[in-house]
Parts: sequence; C-alpha cells; structure tokens
Amino acid sequence: MSVSASFAQIQSTALAAQHRLGWGHFALLVLAGGAAAVGGFAWAWQIQHGMLATGLERPGAWGLYITDFVFWVGIAHSGTLISAILFLFRARFRTAVYRVAEAMTVFGVMTAGLFPIVHLGRPWFCYWLFPYPNQRQLWVNFRSPLLWDVFAVSTYFIISVTFLWVGMVPDAAALRDETTGWRHRFYSLFAVGWRGTGEEWRHYTRSYLFFAALATPLVVSVHSVVSWDFAVSIVPGWHSTLFPAYFVAGAIFSGVAMVVTLLIPLRKALRLEDAITPRHLDMLSRVVLLTSLIVTYSYSTEFALALHGPPSAERATLLYRATGPYAPFFWLMVTCNCAFPLLLFFRRVRHSTAMLLPIMVGVNVGMWLERFIIIVTSLSHDHLPFSWRVYTPRPMEWAITLGAFGWFFFWFLLFMKFLPAISVTELKEEVAHHDVPEEAIHAS
Amino acid sequence: MPREQGFLGIFTEPEQAARAVRALHSSGFHDVRAAMPAPFAEVMAALGERRSRVGRGVLVSTLLGVLAGFSLCIFTSLAWPLVTGGKPIVSLPAFTVIAFEVSVLVGGTATHAMLAYATLTGRWRRRVPTKDPRFSADRIGIFVAGDAPGMEGLLRKAGAEEVRRVA
Repeated sequence: MSVSASFAQIQSTALAAQHRLGWGHFALLVLAGGAAAVGGFAWAWQIQHGMLATGLERPGAWGLYITDFVFWVGIAHSGTLISAILFLFRARFRTAVYRVAEAMTVFGVMTAGLFPIVHLGRPWFCYWLFPYPNQRQLWVNFRSPLLWDVFAVSTYFIISVTFLWVGMVPDAAALRDETTGWRHRFYSLFAVGWRGTGEEWRHYTRSYLFFAALATPLVVSVHSVVSWDFAVSIVPGWHSTLFPAYFVAGAIFSGVAMVVTLLIPLRKALRLEDAITPRHLDMLSRVVLLTSLIVTYSYSTEFALALHGPPSAERATLLYRATGPYAPFFWLMVTCNCAFPLLLFFRRVRHSTAMLLPIMVGVNVGMWLERFIIIVTSLSHDHLPFSWRVYTPRPMEWAITLGAFGWFFFWFLLFMKFLPAISVTELKEEVAHHDVPEEAIHAS
Repeated sequence: MPREQGFLGIFTEPEQAARAVRALHSSGFHDVRAAMPAPFAEVMAALGERRSRVGRGVLVSTLLGVLAGFSLCIFTSLAWPLVTGGKPIVSLPAFTVIAFEVSVLVGGTATHAMLAYATLTGRWRRRVPTKDPRFSADRIGIFVAGDAPGMEGLLRKAGAEEVRRVA
C-alpha cells in the first residue's frame, strides 16, 4: 500500500469511528447526564439546607468532597504525563493513546475544580479564592497552600485545554476539509485557519515542544501542591516530606489506570483495535505496575518510619488506619493498589483486556479509597483524643460523588462522538516513516 | 490579493516531495513552499528554513510570568501586611510556588496566542496559493513561485502525480 493510500485510510478511519457510535452511546450519554443531574440536585439541596446536610463536623471538616477533589486531580495527571513527558522522551507508543489521555485530563480537572466550590458553605463567594482588586485592598494569603492549589489547578486546567487544542489543530483542519455543513463549521473553529504549510509546521512543531517542556514541570508541581495542602499542616498522618513524591506517583498510577479503563471499551466501540493495539495497553500497564511499586514503597515507608521511632500521634494514627473502624477500607486499598497490580508482571495479563479491565477498575477504587483513608482517618484521630470522631458520609455527599462521575463521563462521551480520539496527524507521520505496522492502518 | 504565479506539484510520497524541493533549490529556484498533512522530516529538511524563533517569545513571556507572579504576591502582601503563621510578610519561598504557576500560565497561553494569531491572520504568509483539501489529507503540495522554463519538468521528474500552472 502506498503512503498516501495509508494516509487516506487513517483519516477515513478517524472519521468513520465517530459515526459508529449509535444507540448504546446515546443511552450511556443519557445515563451519565442523569447522574450529573442527580449530583446537581443534591448540591442544590445542600445549598438550601446548609452544610449540616453533610456528615462534615469537627474535627472532620474535610471528607468526601476533598477526597473527590484529590481523586479527580490525580486522574487528570496521566494526560500530561502521556502527552508531554512521553513526547519529550520520544516514546512512540503514546501516539495512538495520548488524545484520549489529554481529553481525560481536561474533563478530570473540570470535575476536580467543582469540589472546592461544593465544599464551601457559601459557594456564591467562590470568587474570594482569587486575588482581585477591591476597595479595602483585602488580598488573599499567598503563604497558604490552599491558595497555591487555586493557582496550580487553574493553571493546569488552562494549559491542559490549550495543549489538547493545539495538538488537535492539524487534525481538525483535516476533518474540516473532509466534512460539510455544521461539522465543517465546527472543525473550522478548532482548526483556526490551519493550512499545513511548511512555515506553519515549522513554528507549530517548535511551539509543541515548548508546550511539552512547560507542561512537564507543571504536572509534577500540581500534585505536589495538592500534597502540601496536607503535608504543611501538623495533623498526624499528613505531616510528612514523603507526600509530594508519593502523591505524584499515586496520581500517575490512578490516571494511567483510568486511561486503560477508558481505552478498553473505547477501542471496541470505535473499532480502533488495530490502531490502539495490545502493545499500547501493555506499555501503559507497565507504567501502572511501576507506579504501583512506588506507591507500595511509600505506604511501607510511612509505616516503617512511624513504627521505628518512639510512640507518637503519627504511629497511633497509622495503626488506627490499619486496625480501626476504617480498617476494611484500608485493607481493600492495599489489595487494590499493591497486590492486584502485581499480576501485571505477567505478559499474558498485560495482553488480556478481560484481565486488565478488572485490575484497572480495582486500581481506581483503591486510589479513591487511598485519598479517603488519608483525609478521613487523620482528622478522625488527631492529636486531641477528646475530639476523636468517626466520620460517616451522608447520602447527599454520595449523590454529589456519583454526580461527579456522571459529569466526567458525560463530557468524555461527547468528546468520543465529535472529536478525533486518535491523533491522525502523528499516525500519518509515523506511517510515512514506517513506524506503524501495516495492520494498524487497516482499522475498520 | 492577486494569486502568485508558479507551478504546483502534487506528490503522494514525502521522499518524492523532498527530492523535488532539493532539485528546485539546486536549479536556483529558491521560493519553494510546501503544504502537507504532517511535518514530514525529509520535506522540512529539504525546505531548509531556519529554526522557528517562537522560543524567544516563550522565554520572554515565561520570564514576564515569573515577574508578574512575584510582583502580585509581594505587592498585595505589603498592601495588607498581616502576619500569618509567624512568617515574614514577604515570604519568598512560599511565593515561588505562585511565581512558577504564573510563569507556566503566561508562557503557555502566550505560545498559544502566538500560534492562533499567526494562523488566523495568515502572518506566516508564505502559503501555497491554491487551497486543496488533499493537502490536509493524503497529498503533499510543492509550489514554486515564478514562470521559468524547467520548473514543471523538475516537478514531474521528481515524481509528481500532477503538475499544474498557478496563475
């Protein structure tokens, strides 16, 4: 097959993929939208009745909402890892999967960003989080890690959207030239007048490199900043220099697991099995395995350090995690994050979607529980025994958590329908240089 | 704007397109332009244009971001000098985090703004003067400006599947 025939095949595959989504996709979209609406209703009810509607009470002022926030920020991490860091390292396997990861990043941050606002008693004052000129010259506290978080997450959102958009410009131009009617107008919007001239490519490739170079330290900084929300306090179980590294590894772990969780059904629904091959899933599974080992090492270090020193509040809190009322969740977390991923050492497991899917879903459950355990157990069992209290989330909080999943999947399902899920341009570039196996071109 | 005169060769393989560019250059035709669906390294190398200077814009905007981040923290803290956590009013280690985030924000958005401005306004004007949807799909267009004899032959010899005069 000639190179240009391969290009045409890749392009028609990308376009045809969107038309393959039928009633099943629509039903899922309605389901996700419905779940998001339930969450929205629950939030409205919470605003009407106040924070007493939740189980948040001293000392546990942070509960399910902050758990959800940290979880979704973590999920958002894999996109930049796969698109920027792997781009800088010239890891070829990223080509077929990075678009999905980048889209997931944007929707993950959009979901995460809701929770600090949901968590506010008076959400209509959420703009107080940002510094803005006011009559009394009353400014925000730049020494607080919570404010660092506002800047880190906002920057991450804007840069992720920009990165996704810039990566999509040549693909949008290709689809613009192929379509008519509203789709043509829609893709023209994304293509920003792109013509693919030598000069445009010259500036584009250089700009993309700088984007990647800017996004790489950003991705490390964002979850480090999230970890400092906890680590700079003196609460036992939080006050640790291990946190930034541990949180960044955990974020990549959960994020890549979520990418694999989404890719397995997506490649089947869009019939992209030949473009997103078992090799791609294999490589991503290796990243999950590596980060699982780092996370396991971090859990062990935390316990080893607490048990090694003299009796302390730190030791009491960590033992409370493993043996107290939250112990079933703790051990489920250890099973999902440390034990199950060890199966990924076997090549057969990495190449079997039937085995990968439950492991990856398990990792997502485990990583959600990790955030819950870190946040809730430390506050429930802090320095002051008289204030110890077991926090139990109320139905309202569960409804909003469910709504967040609905919100995330709603946007993701829309993305699958309207935007190319694989990078057509980069696949063409690889085909031209014979980096893609012949069968990958015949995805149909 | 009147369309430029020249010849447009349409190629199916990047290697052929690169060969055409090299042949045109060695015959003294230096205003050669390309339009293609991906940045094929061999064509880009044959065009031989200098490296993009977009990096300078990124550097300047990122440094401005650092300055803006530190200025925001320092001047607002001095405007409302409230001691928190026993820390100095101007706490540079804490402000470094904000300065870093603002630098990435300004550097990234400025890069995007530069790209969008240039493509939307046609600032990078040296375009192939014929719009052809195939150039974003599966063909490579090589345009050589001028009307000299021999241009068409060089394009055909390099393997163009179609050559047309643009007038």
